[in-house]
Parts: sequence; structure tokens; C-alpha cells
Amino acid sequence: MMRTIEIFLVIIIITGAFIISSFFAVLPQPRQVSPLNLRRLAFTTLQTLDVDYDLSETVFKLPNDLSWDELQIALSACLPPNIVYNLTVYEVLSGGTKLYCPIRSISNAESLGIGSDVSSYLVASSNVTFSVIPEKIGEHGGGGTLYILNCSDANGWWITGYTAQSLAEDLYNLLSPYFRATIMVQNTTQLGKILNGTALQGENLQSAVIINTVGEAVPIPAGYYASSGVGYDTGHSSYARYCYVLGQKVRQYNWTWVSIVGYPLYYVSNTGLFQNEQNGWGIYGMRQVGPAGLNAFLRGIDNQGYSFNDQWITGSPDNDPQLSSVSLSAEAKYYCNYYGIYPSRYQTATRALPDSILTTYNLTVTSYIFNKVNNWIAGAVYRHIAVGDNKITGSLFALGLTRTADIRLTALGLLCDYKPRLYRSEYTANGTSRLVVLQLGLVGGV
Amino acid sequence: MAGSTIDHLVSVIVFLGAILLFISLFNQTLQTAILYQRHRNLASKCSDLLDNMLLNPGIPTNWGTSNCTPTGFGLQDPEFTQYKLSPFSLMRLRSSIGEPVYYPGTKTYYSNITMGFGDYLLVSFTQLIDYSTAAKLLGINNTYGFQLTITPVITVSITETHSGNPLTLTITVTGKGFPLSNAIVSYCFLTVVEKGGQSSPSYSSSFDTSYTDEKGSVTLNFQNIDATKSYAFIAYAHLSGLVGVGYHQRVTADKRYIIPFVESFEDRRVILAHSYDVHNFGPPESAVFFNATFVLLTEDFTLREMPMENSIGKIGKVNYGKGVKFEYCPVTIPTYNPGILVITYQSNNEYGVILMPWGINSMAFPIVFGDNPFGKEWVATDIRQVIVSGIAYQAQLALWSLEGYQVIS
Repeated sequence: MMRTIEIFLVIIIITGAFIISSFFAVLPQPRQVSPLNLRRLAFTTLQTLDVDYDLSETVFKLPNDLSWDELQIALSACLPPNIVYNLTVYEVLSGGTKLYCPIRSISNAESLGIGSDVSSYLVASSNVTFSVIPEKIGEHGGGGTLYILNCSDANGWWITGYTAQSLAEDLYNLLSPYFRATIMVQNTTQLGKILNGTALQGENLQSAVIINTVGEAVPIPAGYYASSGVGYDTGHSSYARYCYVLGQKVRQYNWTWVSIVGYPLYYVSNTGLFQNEQNGWGIYGMRQVGPAGLNAFLRGIDNQGYSFNDQWITGSPDNDPQLSSVSLSAEAKYYCNYYGIYPSRYQTATRALPDSILTTYNLTVTSYIFNKVNNWIAGAVYRHIAVGDNKITGSLFALGLTRTADIRLTALGLLCDYKPRLYRSEYTANGTSRLVVLQLGLVGGV
Repeated sequence: MAGSTIDHLVSVIVFLGAILLFISLFNQTLQTAILYQRHRNLASKCSDLLDNMLLNPGIPTNWGTSNCTPTGFGLQDPEFTQYKLSPFSLMRLRSSIGEPVYYPGTKTYYSNITMGFGDYLLVSFTQLIDYSTAAKLLGINNTYGFQLTITPVITVSITETHSGNPLTLTITVTGKGFPLSNAIVSYCFLTVVEKGGQSSPSYSSSFDTSYTDEKGSVTLNFQNIDATKSYAFIAYAHLSGLVGVGYHQRVTADKRYIIPFVESFEDRRVILAHSYDVHNFGPPESAVFFNATFVLLTEDFTLREMPMENSIGKIGKVNYGKGVKFEYCPVTIPTYNPGILVITYQSNNEYGVILMPWGINSMAFPIVFGDNPFGKEWVATDIRQVIVSGIAYQAQLALWSLEGYQVIS
């Protein structure tokens, strides 16, 4: 009998243990076990209401404006019937201890049930002025000068539909905020000066960027640089030697030479020097150099001896020029968004450079603007690093695209390579920002 | 001695019974807790998976406008951030609800989203991403089942309240939980211009706007439209950032008509086939003459015609299939901007108009993709508000475990 009583005592103890443990092991309500993500739903609802900036407009209107009613109707319409909400708009204050001041609140229920969640969304008034201050190239090192060849005495080729002057102006507008100094080289005489190492406006000549806006042609100063044995190859009756000198100067001053379209350095142009000569296509003031120009330039940049080589080296990624489509590289696409420059992602390239020049002339690609296709590089920045050296001595940025030039690609390519940062700032004044807080709760069920 | 033995026997039996009872009770509590944990985990997974689908464009990012099979699944519009979805990626999802349509002309099955007579979206199976592929790409193959439902937030329903002259249409605009009162309704009324037998009909269009009343309704009258006239009506309702689409057609020819099939996204190719070749009903039917036009939705909610000069099949006729010979006409949609392919047709002096969305949003077609959650043990759901090319949608994901819960139910 005693054993049975003991057992009943044990049962009472275990029952007590079970009751006590059950008391502490509180299981959540079914709704809390598998909840809707109300925070995300609130956030996406606010985004939906602001898709055309309707929300941003409404929250800055007077509290008795009809737009608030429309906002409430839209809010009620887009949420499921079992969801209650409270939307409160706060004025964002600057200074003082109070940061947020409620402006107006709209709701479809007195309480938000047993569980709710909240999301906030900051909207700016259309009166807000945003500004972007770019970092200047050369600010933290050498260089920082941009020369844009705007030579009034040089004609262009493959820039059909534009003039070199209009392209120069566009480039100035696009790129001058990013450089410490932007100099428009107004004629070939000024070009001659910088080739001689003379600054035009006291700018830093070393490590400058020179954009040639006359397309496949290159301006040539009359006089010394056009003279025999300096810029003129008498033996081959060619100005390829001038291109060689250009290459040497690029190396000497560590310049970045930019060719905006087509075959680089295919013609030389000076309306005074070639007054009675034309490029073979009826454009006077210009003379054809042919492929020898680029070959000589590359030899010059690599500090090889001058030799005349008129072998055609550019090509199309596809045998059919109509299909020679190239696409922007991932890096270029990223910087499209960063700098807000949006050229077409697909371009036609018939003057792409072969990747063999990388080894022949000790070049290294630092930025691909277009994806490489079948060993053809349609647009890239090539940096020259001599064998046994570790510093850059001259660069070439060539866009081997078919006419007509899209100047935005030139700007994008340079920005891709130099990557100047943008410092975004906002001129906030009182009443220009409001915080919209949407709190959602579930009703019904358990 | 005997009393002591009985005492021991009774006490042992009672003790063992009590122990078994308590083990069972404790076990039940533990199992419930484990189940709750698993359900909560499923809800978190559901939320994460939904964001994963909606906040990345997939790999490659342009898979919605190409014919390739993606190597990463995502529905975000690659041109945008946040919860903005690509109208073409959604078009490439194989619908779970419509009965697939077989077209013998191409010997291919087509995923079927049909919202009533004349409102078709039939996409070739060869272009589609099916549920199993999506599950593999999401990394949940054989572990979770899901159904993704993308439905328009705003419903614009249109009913013909008077068919004669004047034609009276009542438009009702409702949201998920409330009528959309005081909404602006921008509409386009397309009437089929009859040109007699053996010729393709064209259409004329008129645009206007109106406002819904407090019940979300508006009644519109159209003069000089009698009961025999074929027409299509497309309405866009918008209020405070919410935009919805509705459409309605009336045709006089519902036996012989045109059925459009999306053949290739990359080439933007749609083929137009004779309805007889698909339904195969009745005796051999007459040819159908058609006129296909592509219209774009502009920012002010009007429709703008976009030329299809390069398309060889813009105007033409299709015959029913004779034996194994099937006749269809290809047309090329001129753009990847969403719009509506409007096909007016005529057969035996009976007329009609067919609409096909190019981009799921242009006619606010819904998408149901994945397995059916009916009968599953525990289904977690989550929802997000999303935008598909300016049209407000709601994306809902239902998720369940395929691995069981490894507890005694």
C-alpha cells in the first residue's frame, strides 16, 4: 500500500513539473508563427504610391488639400482588406532638439491589432536643390589638364554631321568639371606650342589628356613639325613621321592621346599647309597618311626607331561590317549610371585594334570600354609601360567605331579610366524633406 | 507477503502508465514547438525568396527579351532598381492556370493566358521558363515548392450596359480592398472600319478622359455605334500613383478569327493563325483578312501607333489548314517597349478585333507561376507591391516544404 501511495506522490510531482514547464513554454499565436512581412509590404506600398512622385507631391500639400483624400483612397485600394494602416507624415527639422514634427496622419482603424510593423520613406520636395561636386583629376597627384583640340585651321573626317568645334564644345561641357584645367587648343600653332612643351595658360603639361576632335584626321602645325625629317618622311612622301613625333611627345610628357572615332591618325590636316590638297575623298586641307600614321605613333610611344609601315592593322570583330556590333563592358555600364552618361550600349566597330599591339608595343589595357570580341578591342585605354619599368609613359585611348562619333563614349571612357569621385550634396532648407511612416497591422484571425 | 507483492505490482503498473503519459505529453509540447519553429523558418524563407525573385534581374539581365534560358532567376527590370519588374521576364514564365494550346502549324504547345474572347497571350513553350527550371535556379529544387502570383492591384472592369446607339459602357475601378473613387480614367475607343469582303479592315481610334464617382464607377456613351459594330475599348485608371488597365471588345465574328502566338522574344516575332487550325471545329472555314497594328502606351496614358514597316505580315489573310498544310503570317513587333498588338479582322463580312499584350503590363494580365499549393500541409505566404512598367501589381508567393516536418503528426 505504501508503494502505491509513493507512486501517486511521484505522479503529483511530475504533474506539477509538467504544469510549471507548460506555464513557461508559451507557444506563440499561429499568426506570429507564419507572419506576413508587414515591414516589406509597407515599404513597397510607399514605393508604389511614389512611382510617379505622387506621394512626394501630396505630402507637401496643405493638410486640407484634396490630394490627401486621394492618397487615402489609393492606400485603401492597394492594401488587402484585412490589413489596417496608419500613415503619418513628419516634417524633418534641422537644428534644435526636435527632429520630426507630425504634419498629418491618415488611418482606416482606431488600433492596429495585436501586431504591427512599420516602414519609413523619406521624400524630398521639388524645391530641393541637389548638387554634385566632382573630384578633379590631378587633385591628388600629377596631371589634371585636359586639352581639347579645337583647331580652327584643321578639318575633320568621320565626324560627319558635326564640326570639330561643336564636338569640342560638347566635350568641354561634359569633361571640364572633372579636370583641374581644360584648355581649348584653338589652332595648330597652339598645338605646336604644347608639343614644344610650352604651357598655354600656365597649366601643368605633364600627364595631360589630349582629345583629338577631328576624327580620323590629326591637326599638324605648319613649319617645324611639318618639315622634312621631323614630321615629313621624304622617302615615302608621307607625314607618318609627324605621327611618330606625336607618339614620342606622348611618351615624353606622359600624355593620354584620345582618338574619338575610326582609324587613329589616318590623315593629317592643316587648311593652310594643304590648301590645294585633299584627302582622297574631296576634303581639302587634309592629306592621307593611311595606316602608317598609327603604326608610327605606336613606335614613337614605345620609343622604337622610326620606320615607315603602311600595314593595315585595324579590323572588324565580324567579317560582315554590318554585324560588327560591340557592347559596352560591365565597367562602362556601371559608370554610365555613376556619371549619368548614357550612350547606346551597342555600337558598330570596324576599326577595332588587334590585341597583338599590347605585346608589340608594351601596352597594357587599364579600362575596356567595349567587351573584347575575337581578339579585337573596339575601345580601350592603353597605357605604355616600358620593359623593365613600372611607371606609365604615355597612353592611347582609341575608339575604333564606325562613323559618326558619339562624343559621350569618349567622355565615358576617360571617366571610366580616371574614375573621379562624385560628392553628392543637398542644399536642404527647412521644409524640404518629409518623412512618411506607414504602419500596417493585421485584423481578423488569431 | 501477498499484500506486499500486490502493492509492488500495482505501484509499478501505475508508475509505468504515468511515465508513458507524461512522455507523451512532453513530447507533444516539444513537437508543437518544433513545428512552430519550422513554420516560422518557412515564413522567413518565403519572405527572403520573394525578395530574391523581385530584387534581382536574373542572369543574364536581359533574359526576358532574349530566347536564352537564364542561369539565374530574377524578375526585376534590369533598367531599374527596387521592386520594378520586367514585363517581358514575366511573359516568359509558364502559366500554371491556362490549358496549354497546341498549334499544329508549328507543332508546338503554347502557354495560355486568356482573359476572355479576343484577349490572348499565347507564348511558345520553347520560349518559356518552367517551374522546375525556376526551382533549380533558385536552389530550392526538391526542398520547397512555390507558387508565384502576380496580379494587378487595380481591377478595371468594363460592362456593356447598352449595346445600341448610343453604346453605353460602365467602367468600375476597384482596388484590393476599396473602390477607386475620383480616379482619372483615360480611355481609347477603337472601332473596326469595315471595308467589305476580301479586304483587311482597319480601325479608327478616339481618346478621352473621365472621372470615377464615389463608388469607383463611370458611365460612358458613344454615339453612332450600333449593335452590329465591332469595337475594342481600353481604359487606364490612375490615382495617386496607382495605375490599372481594363479592356473590352465586341465582335461580330467569333467563329473565324485570328489567334496570335508569340514565337520569339529575341526577334520580337508573333505569328497570326486562323482560329480553325487551333480549335478545329465545324466544317472548313473561310479565310480571315486581318490588319495588325502595334500601339504603345504613352506617359499621358494615350495609345500611340508605332509603325511596323519591316513586318511582312502587317496586312494579309490566313486560310484554315488543309490536311497538314497550315498557313500563318509572321509579324515583327517593332520595339521592346510594352504595348498592345491590335488585330482587326474580317471573314465573310463579319468583323472583330483581337488584342494581345506585348509586355504583361500593357493589358494588366495576371501571372500564376509554379505548383498548386492546394492540399499542402503548411503554406507560408508573403506579399509585396510591385510596379510593372508603371502598372501597379501585387506579387504573392506561396511556399511550402517538400521535405516534411519529421515529427509525428
